[in-house]
Amino acid sequence: MSTETALAGVVQAVGGIALAPLLPGLVQHWKARLQGRRGPSPLQPYRELRRLWGKSTVAPEGASAVYRLAPSVVGASLVAAVLVIPVAETAPSFGIGHDALVLIGLLALARFAVAASSWDVANGFSLMGASRDLTLSVFVEATLVLSLAVAALVAGTTDLRGIIGMTAGTHAWTDPALSLGAVAFALVVVAETGRQPVDNPDTHLELTMIHEGPLLEYAGRDLAYLQWAAAARHWLVLVLAAQVFLPHPSTVWAQLAVLPLVLLLLSAALALVETLVAKMRVLLVPGLLAAGAAAALLGIASWLAGSA
Amino acid sequence: MIGALLVAALAAVALGGAMGIRRRGFEAGLLLQAAGAAGVGVAGFWALGSGTALGSGFSSSLDPRFGVDGLSGLFLGTLGLIAAPALVFSLRYLRPTRQGRAVAALTAAFLLALALVVSARDPLTFLTGWELMTLLSATVILVARSGDRRARQTVFHYLAVTHLGGVGTWIAVLLLAQADAVGNPAAIESGSGLQIAIALAALVGMGTKAGVMPVHVWLPRAHPLAPAPVSALMSGVMIKVALYGLVRVLVEWVGILPVWLGVLVLAVGAFSAVGGVVYALFQHDLKRLLALHSIENVGIIVLGLGACLVLRARGAEAWAAFALGAALLHTVNHAVFKALLFLGAGTFERAAGSLELDRLGGLLRRMPWTGGAFLVGAMAIAGLPPLNGFASEWLTLQALLHVTAYGAAGDGIAGAVALAALGSTAALALFCFVKVVGLVLLGEPRTPAVAAAEEAPLPMWAPLVFLAGACGALGLAPGLLFGPLVGLAPWSDGMPTSAGLELPGTGSLSGIWTAVVLGSVATGLLLLRGNRSAAAAPSWACGQQLVPALRWTSAGFTKPLRLVLESVLRPQRDVAVRSAGGVVQEVSYSGHVPHLIEERLYAPATRVSLGAAAHARRLQSGSLGTYVTYLAALVLVLLAAARLGWLG
Repeated sequence: MSTETALAGVVQAVGGIALAPLLPGLVQHWKARLQGRRGPSPLQPYRELRRLWGKSTVAPEGASAVYRLAPSVVGASLVAAVLVIPVAETAPSFGIGHDALVLIGLLALARFAVAASSWDVANGFSLMGASRDLTLSVFVEATLVLSLAVAALVAGTTDLRGIIGMTAGTHAWTDPALSLGAVAFALVVVAETGRQPVDNPDTHLELTMIHEGPLLEYAGRDLAYLQWAAAARHWLVLVLAAQVFLPHPSTVWAQLAVLPLVLLLLSAALALVETLVAKMRVLLVPGLLAAGAAAALLGIASWLAGSA
Repeated sequence: MIGALLVAALAAVALGGAMGIRRRGFEAGLLLQAAGAAGVGVAGFWALGSGTALGSGFSSSLDPRFGVDGLSGLFLGTLGLIAAPALVFSLRYLRPTRQGRAVAALTAAFLLALALVVSARDPLTFLTGWELMTLLSATVILVARSGDRRARQTVFHYLAVTHLGGVGTWIAVLLLAQADAVGNPAAIESGSGLQIAIALAALVGMGTKAGVMPVHVWLPRAHPLAPAPVSALMSGVMIKVALYGLVRVLVEWVGILPVWLGVLVLAVGAFSAVGGVVYALFQHDLKRLLALHSIENVGIIVLGLGACLVLRARGAEAWAAFALGAALLHTVNHAVFKALLFLGAGTFERAAGSLELDRLGGLLRRMPWTGGAFLVGAMAIAGLPPLNGFASEWLTLQALLHVTAYGAAGDGIAGAVALAALGSTAALALFCFVKVVGLVLLGEPRTPAVAAAEEAPLPMWAPLVFLAGACGALGLAPGLLFGPLVGLAPWSDGMPTSAGLELPGTGSLSGIWTAVVLGSVATGLLLLRGNRSAAAAPSWACGQQLVPALRWTSAGFTKPLRLVLESVLRPQRDVAVRSAGGVVQEVSYSGHVPHLIEERLYAPATRVSLGAAAHARRLQSGSLGTYVTYLAALVLVLLAAARLGWLG
């Protein structure tokens, strides 16, 4: 294994697992600044994880093993997803490959575990969140598949290392396909990270929760796993956005060097969107996501026109 | 060797069926049938693996001929893989009453009819087996439900729809036989009218039997009526045998089809996949829900088949073979998890007395083996890694992506739309099975009968655990089956067999490594979590007490999606408030999602044909005078025709 590959592997695994909580922390920090508040430090998610680590978990009455297993399954599927998504055009094989479409299955597994746990505790607010999350997921998955398809068509492979390599530099941007795919993926980023206008991460009102709702019953280390998983989801989609759907340099060293800067910028962009846009009515979100899917379809049409 | 095993195994199935007719031989007969089915399965997969053809080859002549090749082997293998556990399950599920014994004997006949279709090598035997499999499954339902008037009506409906649609099968097979094209693709000119006619007829005829939308209407009615093991065989094997016919005709016998026909098949597949799962989502009866999911999964298989046809027409032979392999792999996968789910539903019905989703709950703790296996099946059908459903859905997604990659404008966009449809289908299936798992297995029991439910006897749960193991094994090493399946495409040289799925131009999928990563990390996290927990607490409902009236229902959980899709689905909702003296006494609410295809397409067609029949009936007045007049008129017309020289 060359030094580049090893380094990329270290950035991928350590970054995805240890640095992921920094991303939502940064978004919250900048959002507070944009709103004229001093706000929490970007390290706040780590402090919360440490606090939760010391607390005991809760066993709701009537809950079965599914409730106890769910946070670990969610954590494991997000760790697997972190290992699937490379940060540069080279990455060591962690055994499970680097296929873009595998990501969809791993995210679905996490979603299943969370929703099943909310049935297990039979809490109406959890179920409300889960049922909304699953409703939106129908449209998120279609948009995600199509935007990944745009990138895969442009690159000629669904191997993410290949996709990052083939979309590097300026060549891939001569066709509008990738830009349209990026528009679609931007909506996926907002939906998967649970940010406004799709969901409001700061809400404390059970009735308005989507992603937070199913976590209501959890405490202690269970909740720590789930909060880490939410942060890891930020890492996954932002890394994909940075290295596939935004222009990036074509050598591994440059890709690794630029990545932190782009992640900072993208976190700032999320904070800006959260500040400018209000939360949508939940029933209107599918329309927004369908518009994203339409953009990706246009991208595919443009690719087809260009390749014919 | 394989042939001898197969013949012996089929004889064992027949003998077991005959033995089961007598009360004393009931259990021994079922066990012999199960052993025979297992033998058929082994012989089938052996034939697939060895790649040799046994017996005679296909012929357009009408003399009976029998033989087995790789594709037949695959379907015989699937038959055995499903039938053996289903028959062991029947040991306790069926009771040795007259009715139970009749069902057991008819099951053997049904299995033989299914084996006849896939091992027939001439048109007549094929069509005989085809009709027998419909008639025998209908007979089983009638016997098992004797005295149930609605069931009789449904069976009539089933026979009527499959026979009306089944005309297509006859047309396709007889046209092929006439053109001497059974097993001989060179006989049909590519792009000719004959080729198109055969393909369309097969799509309608075999599609009806497979349950693709919009000719699926019999399926969600008939499958839930049968006893659980027979439902498992109908959903797991019978509709797969219909797909076997479709693969033979469209992929093997008619040569390379034009691109538009492949796109049509893609459209049918996408429509069935999305339509099936959407209607399943709004079902509140477990067996009917599972039956609708069969339509969804047939849709996914047909998507793979359509991708194969389009890719072949575009000259992308390697990917066309992969697409066929994806469709066939999903065929096996769906057979395994759907049989598991149907058998599980049968067990729950026995234990809890109901299959209404809102009247179950908490069965995972009461029935750990059955419940655990059912959970695995639900996760497999929802397409979650590292189980088998994910492997074949991943392959189908890849195949559809390549339809776009190799396509021109029209089929390229069709591939992309199908890709989005499959993505949504996977999410909808997840939604639906979270609902099923939640309402059936988790939470608190909702009726006293459910609270008193106990684990089923070993012969009932062991087959479920076996099938759950098969879901796991096919998910861990899908490549072992996928390799030979790719080799079934007549134009393909096969591919090297490995456990994972390594296709060119993909990032590869390794079931084993996915399982290792998921399993080890999850175990590690569980160990870190420890078992310390605070005292048990009631779950949070904003300070309210969680009383049974606050429990979520199937309709409530799916409401957001129903609202989003309101303009498409047209759900109906009635709220009646009865008040006396300004005080509300009673509020009754009812709502359901109507089946639009039945209401908008079939109901008018039925009305028109019944109206036409009523008019035609006037001709048959029953009075002798009228008939004499008809005869006289006919004679006069014939005489006039003869006089004018029209008769030649």
